[in-house]
Amino acid sequence: VAAQSLEVKKLVYLYLLHYAETRQNEALLSINIFQKDLSDINPLVRAWALRTMAGIRLHVVAPLVLVAVKKCARDPSPYVRKCAAYALCKLYDLLPEENTTLEEIVDVLLGDSSFGVVGAAAVAFKSVCPNCLALIAKHFQRLCETLPDIEEWYQITLIEILLRYVIAKHGLVKDSVMFASGLSLETQAGRDSVPVSNISSTQAETIVKGGSGTMPNIMLFRHYIEEYSGAFDRDEDKFSFPSVTSSTNDDVVILLKCTSPLLWSQNSAVILAAASVHWIMAPAEEVKRIVGPILFTLRSSPDATYVMLGNILVFAKTAPLLFSSYFEDFFICASDPYQTRALKLEILTTIATESSIPAILEEFQDYIKDPNRRFVADTVAAIALCALKLPSITSSCLEGLLALVLYELSITNSVHLNEEDAVLVQAILSIKEIVKIDAASHEKVIIRLVRCLDTIMEPAARSLIIWIFGEYSSTGNLIPKIAPVVLKYLAWSFAAEVLETKLQILNASVKVCIISPNFSFLTLKWRLLIGLFFQVIIHSAEDQLEEFKRTVAYVIQLAACDMNYDVRDRARFLSGLLPCCANENDSSCRSQNVDVIKELADHIFGGKIPPPSNSDSNYRIYLPGSLSQVVLHAAPGYAPLPKPQSMILIHKTVEPTRGVADSSEGTNSDAESGSSRDESGSVYDSESEAGSDSNDEGHNLHRQKENQEAPLIHMYDGNVDQAYAGRAVDENLASLISTDLTELMSKSALESWLDEAPAAPLVPVQTSCARVSFTTRSFERKPKLHRLLDPSDSGGLSVLYAFSSEVSVKSRLLVCVDLFVENVTTEQLADITIKSEEASGSKSGMDQTSEGSASIPTLVPVEEIQSLAPEQRAKMLLQVHFHHHLLPLKLSVFCNGKRHPAKLHPDIAYFVRPLPMDLNAFLCKENQLRGMFEYARRCTFKDHLQKHEQTEESTDDNTDKNLLVAQTLASKVLSNANVHLVSMDMPVTFSIDDASGLCWRFSSEILSTSNPCLITIVADGHTSEPLDLTVKVNSEDTAFGLNLLNRIVAIIE
Amino acid sequence: MLQCVFLLSDSGEVMVEKQMTAHRVDRAICGWFWEYVLAHAAGDPSKVLQVVVSPTHYLFRVYRSGVTFLACTQVEMPPLMAIEFLSRVADVLTDYLGDINEDTIKDNFVIVYQILDEMMDNGFPLTTEPNILKELVAQPNMVSKMLNVMTGKSSTIGSKLPDATASFVPWRTTIVKDASNEVYVNIVEELDACVNREGVLVKCEACGEIEVNSSLPGLPELTLSFANPTIINDVRFHPCVRFRPWESNQILSFVPPDGQFKLMSYRVKKLKTTPIYVKPQLSSDSGNCRVHVMVGIRNDPGKPIDSIIVQFQLPPLIASADLTANHGTVDILADQTCVWTIGHIPKDKAPSLSGNLRLEEGLAHLHAFPIFQVKFRIMGAALSGLQIDKLDVKNTPSAPYKGFRAQTQAGRYEVRS
Repeated sequence: VAAQSLEVKKLVYLYLLHYAETRQNEALLSINIFQKDLSDINPLVRAWALRTMAGIRLHVVAPLVLVAVKKCARDPSPYVRKCAAYALCKLYDLLPEENTTLEEIVDVLLGDSSFGVVGAAAVAFKSVCPNCLALIAKHFQRLCETLPDIEEWYQITLIEILLRYVIAKHGLVKDSVMFASGLSLETQAGRDSVPVSNISSTQAETIVKGGSGTMPNIMLFRHYIEEYSGAFDRDEDKFSFPSVTSSTNDDVVILLKCTSPLLWSQNSAVILAAASVHWIMAPAEEVKRIVGPILFTLRSSPDATYVMLGNILVFAKTAPLLFSSYFEDFFICASDPYQTRALKLEILTTIATESSIPAILEEFQDYIKDPNRRFVADTVAAIALCALKLPSITSSCLEGLLALVLYELSITNSVHLNEEDAVLVQAILSIKEIVKIDAASHEKVIIRLVRCLDTIMEPAARSLIIWIFGEYSSTGNLIPKIAPVVLKYLAWSFAAEVLETKLQILNASVKVCIISPNFSFLTLKWRLLIGLFFQVIIHSAEDQLEEFKRTVAYVIQLAACDMNYDVRDRARFLSGLLPCCANENDSSCRSQNVDVIKELADHIFGGKIPPPSNSDSNYRIYLPGSLSQVVLHAAPGYAPLPKPQSMILIHKTVEPTRGVADSSEGTNSDAESGSSRDESGSVYDSESEAGSDSNDEGHNLHRQKENQEAPLIHMYDGNVDQAYAGRAVDENLASLISTDLTELMSKSALESWLDEAPAAPLVPVQTSCARVSFTTRSFERKPKLHRLLDPSDSGGLSVLYAFSSEVSVKSRLLVCVDLFVENVTTEQLADITIKSEEASGSKSGMDQTSEGSASIPTLVPVEEIQSLAPEQRAKMLLQVHFHHHLLPLKLSVFCNGKRHPAKLHPDIAYFVRPLPMDLNAFLCKENQLRGMFEYARRCTFKDHLQKHEQTEESTDDNTDKNLLVAQTLASKVLSNANVHLVSMDMPVTFSIDDASGLCWRFSSEILSTSNPCLITIVADGHTSEPLDLTVKVNSEDTAFGLNLLNRIVAIIE
Repeated sequence: MLQCVFLLSDSGEVMVEKQMTAHRVDRAICGWFWEYVLAHAAGDPSKVLQVVVSPTHYLFRVYRSGVTFLACTQVEMPPLMAIEFLSRVADVLTDYLGDINEDTIKDNFVIVYQILDEMMDNGFPLTTEPNILKELVAQPNMVSKMLNVMTGKSSTIGSKLPDATASFVPWRTTIVKDASNEVYVNIVEELDACVNREGVLVKCEACGEIEVNSSLPGLPELTLSFANPTIINDVRFHPCVRFRPWESNQILSFVPPDGQFKLMSYRVKKLKTTPIYVKPQLSSDSGNCRVHVMVGIRNDPGKPIDSIIVQFQLPPLIASADLTANHGTVDILADQTCVWTIGHIPKDKAPSLSGNLRLEEGLAHLHAFPIFQVKFRIMGAALSGLQIDKLDVKNTPSAPYKGFRAQTQAGRYEVRS
């Protein structure tokens, strides 16, 4: 490092950066030289020294770096100042507690005169204190003005910061698209809680609603802004509109003005960032200026296409009219990969209008001949969507699809290709979708489809057609007439069909019967018919009907003898349904039963298909241009926009309240943004000051158990309608009772608690999250047994061991292990004792490694078992000191005077002991252990699925699946690791099935160092499927933390 | 914030690994990525998505001539920033090494590593301006190689902080030595067109770039104006272009970087005609498919059209193909692409390709029709009709030499059959 040659210096710096963490000593040796280099006359050397010094990330060095950064932040060379800003980010990882000092430096750098430095300061701002938006205030105007001049990478960051600032300071713009999207919903719901009589806002509304409501209930700002994301999905709830500002606000105007030239940037990321500012802030009539530039990027930066299209899709779904005249840009090129094509198709269907649809359909017709069959199938589906959207083209679409079906038929029958069928099936599916709207007017289409049955071989396609036929067998004039013939044909071919088709034939035939116009007459006869074992005795007036019945009977009979039990079951079920109580000739109960059965059958077959659940409601939207939007889940560190006009609150909120508020907030993201803290902080403030404000405020239900410490459930957070809250609570209660939790409470306590509960939550409370706190006792622990000694090797002595959660009384470094000794021989075993092999051996070596613990033996001597009778079992408590190593411990088991070597494998999950703490303490601690002390991994959890099956069998409907999952996981972790369960947070979501947001917190401390070790597990997904879990460990001992994390993941999986 | 950047070779081998932050990324992620590529895109990394979610990281990839640039992150960041950064790395390396492939990267490992180090610090782009980089890290060339060999020491690292880092025009080196006092403006257009099965021109637009090669001393002020700026639909500018004059008068005013750079790109939409026509006819019955393709000049641009190539993917389920042309050569490549190289269109005859495709057993008709991709080049004409009015150069000691050129080539020119 001391070398004079710059090149050598640089390469050594690079070497140091790469290896500093593994070779700390060498890195430390070079610190002096860095100090010297920091005052070198060559700015390049100063910058290198600073970069390297900050980059080696040793805690010892951190204070020195802080001094160096302070100095360099005032360096004459802008390049060095820029590097100082970068060093701030690195330093923040190392010394998060120094954040006030760091913020000051950021402030200084933000005020720098050089563009490069300001940009770098923005980066530092984002990583050091992304929520101190107040810092921006005094620089705001200047930052906006420099925006076009700074480097492109900084533009991206700075735009984001400025956007957040404006929202936090002034709130949303009243006539922006974002606002209008919320407004349109509000008016749909028949409320006008906000009297907006602004002409421009109605314009905005028309843009948004223009596309006949493709995505009417997406309220963008609910997605974008954290505050409202919890209330997502519940449209009716009372919803206080965010504070708004007009588009003439100075800050808004200047931000928009300075970002608009960036739409011409050569960097697509800048374009998207600028576009999203306009998207969120600009008045609706100005939003259209983003359209041209973002579409141009599709052509000019091919690498960005996929990401860009994903964002455009969201824009287009919200405001289809914006893009409707640019449909040509979404036409598909031969070179587009499949994913791009799929996105373009979706956008095209979204933005299609009456005027553009002919051109789009013509394109679709071309796509159908594409060699990529999967894409063709997608196109066919898109045609159906367009036809549904624009009724004027329905008939021509149907014609085209029918032609396609016939055409595909000619191909599939001649040669069989894998993906070929997909097109045909999709075509019929599309027809089905279109016909569904108005079956009667399309009956000819149905007839033509049915005629194809002769030639279609593909079972999926066949069964689809049969379904259509069955479903609409009574509609129109022609279909009922041909129904018997078709049925006859089906009956004739029944035996040859594949399973799927058979089932459909059965369904269809019964449907035909039921929906048949003279239904009651028919069933009457049917009953007799079946009653006389299918011998036709009664002659109907209509020959046709008779024949008809016979056919159905034949089919059912055939089916009843089928090879497949599913078909047989279905047939029996149907035959029971049709002729009802066939054997009863008693006429009195006949009439009764007819009605019942008729109703039942009608219900099963005649029932309207429920409209497909709106998939959009589960479709989350993230901020445009964010990674989360591309991968469609919230990436770690994703922060929604701050609460509108929350800036003032920040000033009001005094520092101390933060801690409290913090802990009460149920956010589970690891980058819990400060704004949320501030927000809830304010909530608490107002609560203590002004009592209750029914809308915005959390309401805590502290129900103390009579005898015990912690409240069992907290309900808090706003924006769920009241009735729901009540239900949720009831559900929870029910589930609590139904599970083993009951034993926690004395009966009387439970009762009083129950009595109280319904009353309490029905105050104007809104819930979105429930926290359940348990003492760890409530979980069964099933420690895993490991084998220490196999009876075959040891003359019939079997020794099993399990780590125990007990804490050793002798020393805190000892791990307790339960030994289960069993004599499997028929003879007496005597003098069983266990000794460590190392105890006598390397005492000195041990002294070196852990001086403090030298006095503690590796194995606390255990009392020996004098004798063990055959089949007798004994339990021993072993207290072991593993020296914090993961190496197996060599033990000798003495029995009958013989020595048997054995190995005790340590489990890192027991190198910790439970550290009881409450949630507040946990969150505080967690906050201190951020950055490099934090490791996270994802894994999946499947155990609860088995449990589900079990509980489903026991038909306990009241069991809350979420609770079940929570318990399963908690008990699994607790039985395999020596930790303390701090809390379990359960989301109270609309769908009971949804486990996203379920969060467990465990605390523990490391035996050897007493450093706390915090474990947080957050679930994502549905309880009926394997859950995605994110496990996070915060610990000062990073190596240990990482190992523990891996172990926890292994335990869970 | 990007945690790590990897450069992978064609076979998935890790050539360069540059850790950007202290949260080290294990190399195993590359192995995972390559398995993903093999599983989803049959080993072609250019076919997988730009953003891939792996079990541990989010991966961004950019693919350039056999080299995959892979970046990893675990936290939220603008994905386009990562992608743009990787493309910039690729551009800079191309600039440095001539062209990037496995060999050049391995040969110049130290330089690549240094460039990556300068371009990014702590996961955020630091210096990405090519001319500053060139002063920080010297370009490899014959002279420096010779010097290394002769003197035994190398000097790939600049010893001095480039002045441009402090400048308000960071893209320009303040002192340009030995400038030859000349500036060239080159319009390169790509014609995108789409002709549907009925032979109707669905879409036709020109995407152009204005490339400037400037070699001017001092701090010159350039102003470029167009004769017909209104035809331009969309624009993107090099950072050196000032936005205000464009907003008000549609004039490009800028201080150019030294050397070759892309001043602006633009798009002119809704053009009416294409210079050449390609008319494919495919008819199939009883297991045979007759192909007939005709090419000719539709709208003479006044300049010669050369390098005409028509290529298409043979449809699936073809047993054999027998294609001949009366002009040019026809090749069928291993990946079932048929390339018909025409070159010039002769005066006396219209080039045509004809032949017969034998379909596989049992297939009577062709059901998937190929898309014909057309390539051509026209020197000396910009088909969009964009014309440069004048270029003013101020702030130079003497009047420089100014040169203008234009060129059009086919971009995404597709004819469906």
